[in-house]
Amino acid sequence: MITIDPSDKTPIFEQICKSVCRDIAVGALLEGDKLPSARELAKLLQLNPNTVAKAYGMLERDGIVYSVQGKGCFVAKHEGKATEKLTENFRAAVREALDAGASAEELIAIIREADRG
Amino acid sequence: MIEIKNITMNFSDGQNRNQAPSLRSVSLTIPEGCIYGFLGSNGAGKSTLMRIMSGIYPATSGEIYIDGEPVFDNPRAKEKIFFVNDETTQFTNYTADELSMFYKGAYSGYSDEVFKKVMTALKLPTNKKLSTFSKGMKRQTIVALALAAQTKYLLFDEAFDGLDPAMRRMVKNIITDEIFDRGASLIVSSHNLTEISELCDHAMLIHEGDLVFSDELDNLRAGFTKLQLVIRDPELADDEVLKKKIQSLGLEALDITTLGSLRQIIVKAPEEEAVSKLKVLSTDLAEGVPLTLEEIFIYELEARGYGNADIIKENN
Repeated sequence: MITIDPSDKTPIFEQICKSVCRDIAVGALLEGDKLPSARELAKLLQLNPNTVAKAYGMLERDGIVYSVQGKGCFVAKHEGKATEKLTENFRAAVREALDAGASAEELIAIIREADRG
Repeated sequence: MIEIKNITMNFSDGQNRNQAPSLRSVSLTIPEGCIYGFLGSNGAGKSTLMRIMSGIYPATSGEIYIDGEPVFDNPRAKEKIFFVNDETTQFTNYTADELSMFYKGAYSGYSDEVFKKVMTALKLPTNKKLSTFSKGMKRQTIVALALAAQTKYLLFDEAFDGLDPAMRRMVKNIITDEIFDRGASLIVSSHNLTEISELCDHAMLIHEGDLVFSDELDNLRAGFTKLQLVIRDPELADDEVLKKKIQSLGLEALDITTLGSLRQIIVKAPEEEAVSKLKVLSTDLAEGVPLTLEEIFIYELEARGYGNADIIKENN
């Protein structure tokens, strides 16, 4: 489900990108699946059309989706790019925590806990 | 696109003494296929600018080009613009059908189909005089006519504010199609910053006749960051001292507020830069947040010496 949280302060186009990446990472969207058109998504979520177009442009530029003239936008081969985008923030947080003195074991424990819950 | 070049407007007060200009050398460009918000307090000059853009009256100086054509007294340019006023007192002696015929004659791209579709969706009778309509119904009818005209540029002078949620949704969906199909642009003036923030991709702010800024909304937002951090260094307890320290780190602190142990700092910089530069002040600093449009306006106005601008009071 491609969703937007209006109270989230992240820019909308970023939220759309992350939402699509999440769907791909969890397997809800598979290679070759067709995304809603930018127009359809804009109407569905009542968003500014250019914002949606911007998000799709970014996804395409990052190789996560590709567009076929006259047909629409499709999910590209999943070479871990979608997951990479989602884990960007996580990587930065890990680096920061390690710099601040946390041990790798502490961080791994946190991950395991999150995975259980 | 609409090119607005150095528009100045002086309304003389009848005694041939000019009062302050309503618009002072305003320049901006409105691209195709966008939703552009015009913001500013009452009397700032938004409506004046829209009227000049629509060719209703000429500016004192400056030019406006609609897709390369000057607008005043030029039917080729005026064909591309539909201006929706906030007032609903016009044409009340006519029925919606009669008004539809009138506008059909004025706009070559007019669509009876769109008009019927919208009026039916709104359950508005097209054969009754507008004088029998409530204010809201009149407003909806005029918007229906505007959508039916299918012009490339649609100007709503605070007309969006008065629409109910269902109609807003309908207008947004029709505009979305128009943007994709014909590169149409919607220009909306409003006091409702939250709505503009959600609806628009570009915005401009006018204050007392001067253009304060005009930009893509995402760019505007990306240029400011708000952070809350605990600063343990007692020497930085004083706000002014902290401000100078921040400056020495290469950032401009627009505002510092002390909230208990936390200091809330607003800097004019993108989040990544702000966080990386301010890290030396506090190890807890993880992230900043973007500002709301309202907050950005307050700071932009203050930065230009308009301090305590009362555009915000309109919303409260």
